[in-house]
Amino acid sequence: MNPYYAHVLIMFCFYAYLALAWNIVGGYAGQLSLGHAVFYGLGAYTSTLLFLHLQLSPWIGMLAGGTLAAVASVLIGYPCFRLRGPFFAMSTLAVLEVFRILAVYASDVTGGSTGLSIPIRFGLGSLVFRDKMPYLGVIVGLLAVAVVVSVLIERSRFGHRLVALRENEDAAESCGVNVRRVKLTAMVLSAFLTAIAGSFYAQYVLYIDPSGEFSMDLSVLMAMMAILGGAGTVLGPILGAAVLAPLQEFLRAWLGGKAQGLHLLIYGILIIAVVKFLPRGILAWLRSLVPWPRAGRSAAGRAPTGVRAPAAPAAIPSVPGAVRPDVPLLVARGLRKAFGGLVAVNGVDLEVRAGEILSVIGPNGAGKTTLFNLLSGVYRPDAGSILYRGVDVTRVEPHYACGRGIARTFQIPKPFADVTVLENVVVGALSRTPSVREARAASAEVLALVGLAERRDTLASSLTPGDQKRLELARALATRPSLLMLDELMAGLTPTELGAAMDLVGRIRGLGVTVVLVEHVMQVVMQISDRVIVLHLGEKIAEGPPAAVAADTRVVTAYLGDEYAVA
Amino acid sequence: MTSLIVQVAINGLLLGGIYALVAIGLTLIFGVVRVVNFAQGEFLMLGMYLAFWLFAFWGVDPYLAVLVTAPAIFALGVLVQRVFIRPFFNAPSNSLILVTFGLSIILQNSALLAWKSDPRAIETSYSNAALRLGELSVSVPRLVILVVTLGIVAGLYVVLQRTYWGMAMSAVAQDRKAAVLMGVNIHWVYMLTFGLGVGLEAVAGTLLIPVYSVTPSTGATFTIVAFVVVVLGGMGNVFGAFLAGLIIGLIEAFSGFFISPQLQGALYYAMFVAILVARPQGLLGVVGAQEMGFR
Repeated sequence: MNPYYAHVLIMFCFYAYLALAWNIVGGYAGQLSLGHAVFYGLGAYTSTLLFLHLQLSPWIGMLAGGTLAAVASVLIGYPCFRLRGPFFAMSTLAVLEVFRILAVYASDVTGGSTGLSIPIRFGLGSLVFRDKMPYLGVIVGLLAVAVVVSVLIERSRFGHRLVALRENEDAAESCGVNVRRVKLTAMVLSAFLTAIAGSFYAQYVLYIDPSGEFSMDLSVLMAMMAILGGAGTVLGPILGAAVLAPLQEFLRAWLGGKAQGLHLLIYGILIIAVVKFLPRGILAWLRSLVPWPRAGRSAAGRAPTGVRAPAAPAAIPSVPGAVRPDVPLLVARGLRKAFGGLVAVNGVDLEVRAGEILSVIGPNGAGKTTLFNLLSGVYRPDAGSILYRGVDVTRVEPHYACGRGIARTFQIPKPFADVTVLENVVVGALSRTPSVREARAASAEVLALVGLAERRDTLASSLTPGDQKRLELARALATRPSLLMLDELMAGLTPTELGAAMDLVGRIRGLGVTVVLVEHVMQVVMQISDRVIVLHLGEKIAEGPPAAVAADTRVVTAYLGDEYAVA
Repeated sequence: MTSLIVQVAINGLLLGGIYALVAIGLTLIFGVVRVVNFAQGEFLMLGMYLAFWLFAFWGVDPYLAVLVTAPAIFALGVLVQRVFIRPFFNAPSNSLILVTFGLSIILQNSALLAWKSDPRAIETSYSNAALRLGELSVSVPRLVILVVTLGIVAGLYVVLQRTYWGMAMSAVAQDRKAAVLMGVNIHWVYMLTFGLGVGLEAVAGTLLIPVYSVTPSTGATFTIVAFVVVVLGGMGNVFGAFLAGLIIGLIEAFSGFFISPQLQGALYYAMFVAILVARPQGLLGVVGAQEMGFR
C-alpha cells in the first residue's frame, strides 16, 4: 500500500479509537471533558520513560500508562464531577494545563519542552516498525477492542445508567443509580483506553513533548469527532473520525505549507458549521434520511416473547424483608429543614404504616415537596431522624433510599427525554437486577400495568404531560418499592385521566405497596386515602381520617382564612 | 529586602490591574449572556493589532487610538454575537462552548494568515517611563491601566444601577424569562453586552500595546487568566472581577518571585479548579447563581 494512504488509514483508526474512548464519558455520560489529553499524555510519558530507563517493552508500558491514567482519572474526576455543564468542561481544561506546565517544568524527567526521542529498535516487542503496515495492524486491533468495549457498555446495566444520568441526574439517583460512582467508573475506563492511544502514537512518531501530548487541540479534536459523528453511539465517533481525520491530513498536506494557519482556519469554521447544522451528528442525520427502524437497543427489546419470565412476577413489587405489622414502615421524628431564613419543614413527626395510602396535603408552600425530598434522601434534614423498617436512613443518598425500597416520582416529571419509554423504565428495573434482559421483561409488565404499553418505543420527550406522569409512576414502580411516594401525580390531569389514575393507585396498593401522596386534588385525597396529614407553613397541623381532617377548623383556616372557619 | 517585597507587591498590583480589565469584559459576557467565551482573548489580540497598525501607519498614540479601537471592536462584537452566538440561543450550553472555541481558532488563525507570527511591539516616549519613589519604581503605562480600570469599574457601576440598559442587563443576568416578560428585548441586551464585553478587551489591548508585544496567540494566554479571575470574583460580578484581578496579579508576582516563574501558570489553573470546587460562587457571588443560567 502507498505509505501515505497507509498513514491516513492509521490516523483514521487512531482518531476513531480516541473518539470512542472519549465517547464513554463525553457521549454516553454526557460530560463534556476537554481535558482528555491528560490521560493520553500520561500514557505516552509512562511507556516512553519505562522504555528509556528500564528497557520495558511499550506493550507493558501501555498497560502501566493506562493504569496510571485510570488512577489519575479518579483524582481528577472526584472534584471535577461536582461541577456541571460548562464548569465541568472548564475545570478539565484547567487540569490539562496544569499537567502540561508540570511536564515542561519537570525537565529532568520529561526532557522539558525539548521532549524525548524514542530510540529506534525495530521489532514487535519494542513496538517500532520499518513499515506502516504493522502499525496499521496494531491500531486496527486497538480500534476493534474499543468497539467491543463500547458495544458491551451499550448493552449493559452500566451503559443504561450512563445514559440515564446524562439525561437527568436527579431522576437517575431516584432510580438507584449512584451517579458519582458511575461517572467515575466511566472516567476510569475512558482514561485507560485513552492512555493506550498515547503510548501507541509515541511509538508511531518516536517522539513526545509536552505540547504535543498534553494538548488542548487534541482534547477538543477527540470531542469534535465524537460529536460530529454522533456522541453516545458506537458508530458515531467512528464516522466522525472517518470525516475529520482524512480531512485534517489532506488540509495539512495541501495548505499547511502554503499559508500558515489556513488549515486551522478552515478547521475552526468546520467546528461551528458542525454544531450549527448537525448538532446531533452525522449518524442522526443519516438515520433521518433513511427511515430504518431504530437500531440496537430498542430492537432487541422488541421481543419479550421467549424471554423466560423472572421468578417473581415483576410487576408485583417484591418487598425486601418481611413486613412486621406492629412496626410502622417509616417513622420520622422532628424533621426540620431550612433554606436560609425560610424554614420549609419545622419539627414534623410522621408515621407511615405498612399497606396504607397516606396523603400529605396543605396549601402552597406548606413544605410538602420538601418533606418528600427529605424522606427520599434528596435533602438532608437540619434536625430530626428517619427510621425505615427500623433502620436509620436520615442521611442516606437518594440511590441508597431507592435500594432500600423507597421510590418516588417528581412533581415536575423528569423523564430521560432522549430515550424510549421502555428504556426509561428499564433504568428503574435495573436497580433490582443486573440483567438488562430481565429488566426489559419486568419493564414491559410495569408499562402494561400503567397503560403505556403501546407507547413503549416512543421517545419520552414526545409524550403528553399525562403520559409523562404515568412514565414517572412506571419508572418508580419498576424499582419494586415497598414505599412509593407520589408527588402531585394527579395535578393537571383531565377528569378521565384522574379516574384512571386513582384506580391505578388503588391497584398498586393492592400489590402490597404502601403509598404516600402529596396531592392538591381534594376529590382524590378524600376518596382514596386511609389517613391524611395536613402541613401548614412547615408544621403538621392535623392528622387523621379524611373526613375528620376536612372538618378540622385549623385546616379550614389554613386553606381559606379565618372568616370561613366559622361557617 | 523589604523594599524588594514592596516592589514585587507593586508589580503584582499593576499586573492585577491588567488582569482585572481583561476579566471585566469576560465577566459581563459570562454573567449576562451566559456564554463561556473562549474567544474573549482574541478580541484583546485584535485590539492590540489595531492599535499597533494605527501607530505604525499614522503614528496615532495608543491613548488616542483607544477612541477608534474600542468602538471598532465593539461593533465587531455585536456582529459576532448576531452571526455566531445568537443562532445557538436555545442550543445546549455545551454547543456554545464548541462554537466559541471554533471562533477563537478562526480569529487566531486569521490573524496568523494576515500578520504572520512575528511579535509586534511599539516604542512610545512613555513605554519605559516610571515614577521613582526612593528605591521603588512604578511603571507609568501600567499605572495608567490600573487607573483606567478603576474608572471603568466606577462607570459600569453607574451604568448598571442608573440606566435602563444597565438595569436590563442585570435583569437578564438574574432571570432571562422574567426579563423578557417585563418587555426587555433580550436579543438587544445580548448583542450590546457582548459588544461591550469585547469592546473592553480592545481598551485593554490598546493600553497594553506600549508595554506588551502582540502575536496571534497573545489573546489565548489572557483568556485563561481571565477565566480564573472571573470564577474567583463571582460570575457576572464586575467589582468581584476587579478585586480578583488584583489578587491573581499579586499571586503571580509573588509566586514568580518566591517559587518559580515557570510554575506561575500551573498555580492559577490549580487554584481555578480548587475555587470552582470549594466555592463555586466565587468570592463575592451568591451560592448557586453560577449554575442558574446553564441548566
